Amino acid sequence: MSAKAEHYDVIRKPIITEKATMVSENGAVVFEVAMDSNKPEIKQAVEALFGVKVKAVNTTITKGKTKRFRGQPGKRRDVKKAYVTLEEGNTIDVTTGL
Amino acid sequence: MQVTETLKDGLKREYEIIVTAAELEAKVNEKLAEAQPEVEMKGFRKGKVPMALLKKQFGPRILGEAMQESVDGAMNQHFETTGDRPALQPQVTMVDGETWKEGDDVKVKMAYEALPEIPELDMSGVKLERLVAKADDAAIDEALASLAETVQDFADRKKGTKSKDGDQVVIDFVGKVDGEAFEGGSAEDYPLVLGSGSFIPGFEEQLVGVKAGEEKAVTVNFPDEYGAAHLAGKEAVFDCTVKAVKEPKAAAIDDELAKKFGAEDLAALKGQIAERLEAEYAGAARAIVKRGLLDALDGLVKFDLPPSLVEAEANQIAHQLWHEENPDVHDHNHDKIEPTDEHNKLAERRVRLGLLLAETGRKAEIEVTDAEMTQAVMAQARQYPGQERQFFEFIQQNAQMQQQLRAPIFEDKVVDHILGMAAVTDKEVSKDDLQKAVEALDEE
Repeated sequence: MSAKAEHYDVIRKPIITEKATMVSENGAVVFEVAMDSNKPEIKQAVEALFGVKVKAVNTTITKGKTKRFRGQPGKRRDVKKAYVTLEEGNTIDVTTGL
Repeated sequence: MQVTETLKDGLKREYEIIVTAAELEAKVNEKLAEAQPEVEMKGFRKGKVPMALLKKQFGPRILGEAMQESVDGAMNQHFETTGDRPALQPQVTMVDGETWKEGDDVKVKMAYEALPEIPELDMSGVKLERLVAKADDAAIDEALASLAETVQDFADRKKGTKSKDGDQVVIDFVGKVDGEAFEGGSAEDYPLVLGSGSFIPGFEEQLVGVKAGEEKAVTVNFPDEYGAAHLAGKEAVFDCTVKAVKEPKAAAIDDELAKKFGAEDLAALKGQIAERLEAEYAGAARAIVKRGLLDALDGLVKFDLPPSLVEAEANQIAHQLWHEENPDVHDHNHDKIEPTDEHNKLAERRVRLGLLLAETGRKAEIEVTDAEMTQAVMAQARQYPGQERQFFEFIQQNAQMQQQLRAPIFEDKVVDHILGMAAVTDKEVSKDDLQKAVEALDEE
């Protein structure tokens, strides 16, 4: 499957944290994805961009914190994260970038 | 790590050091493991960054460091085991440096010139004469007379005597250009020493032969490059009234004179002069003894010299001499000066003696103390009045400058040490003989 422009819009960036490295031991990678994307789209994008086979996609929306700035209440943006589990034998080197 | 000798010719040495990829890798991992607990990275608690990520991020940087370290380590180890000491910084080049990539063995070529074995000095056979000169009365009187001259007095000449060159005339003068007096061109009761050159050329000469009470118009041309632009090159007439003509008189050598120089009385001043003269003689005598000692040492020892040191020295000598011959060239934009045989010979002597002194000093554990160093810095700083502070700071930050100051002190101490071992006899000579010896030294 060739990569299309909209695929790049779906996947924002890899998330590199302690938790992400922990799940990578089970063959999963974590991405920050566009808010309006859904699981099939994410699966398609990852398969196209990285050339791997995806077994499953789990998503979660982390709500942004409410913060006060000069007394005015404000809200940080929400973030959608996708835990992408790869089929056995596939890897993505998240640190190299696209 | 593997060190193989590829060249051993005279003092020249060349070695090939091989550091295997595995060794390098181990070194990198070790370094990373050591640093891991301290690393902080976004998304990770402190010290919890996984090794793989660390390696990816800092690997290349650490690799260079590790390479440097292992090569340096190999070199140091090599010098320790062989006991060689390099004359200059060893030249290290990487074989296939361009094509090298991670995972390859590192091959390094190291070339240097070893310092020669310096034989133990046997100083007992060296006999030296130290010239000792006493300051005699004649020399003291001479010095006194020249001191007295510097505080010249002027006494009135007999009335009607004409002034001579060297006399002091007291004059009133009014200077006029084109018939009009100009600013700064007049004075009253001005004491002018004829022949002192303090006025514009021609002025003083025309006042030779005047008498007290005489009036004279002096006509002079201002020189073209005169300081004040509106006067330069113009003709001026100075109407001078000579008030007095005085002849120079050397100050009498008495207690009065002594007080002027801060001594209690004449005897004390004489004592001071004698002391200073003797210090001067001692300094000269020391230079002669040192020269004699160096000559003796030069003849006494023979060892191979590292050619690169000799060459560098010869080049420097040639360069310096060239500059002395061509004093108008101050920059370094001239062709390279080829050292001649003479320069080479001189350089060889200098290098040999330098090495010998350094080695002797090292063996005798001679060190330059901080106090001596500070003293030398102070002495230097006095040359820059008002900027002592900056000079101190400059010295403190400049290791090379420090070395430059330290070297002569060290040399002096070593020479003293060697002189202590050698048989030195004192020989009383007159001042003239000492002077001759110094001159002979300078001519060489």
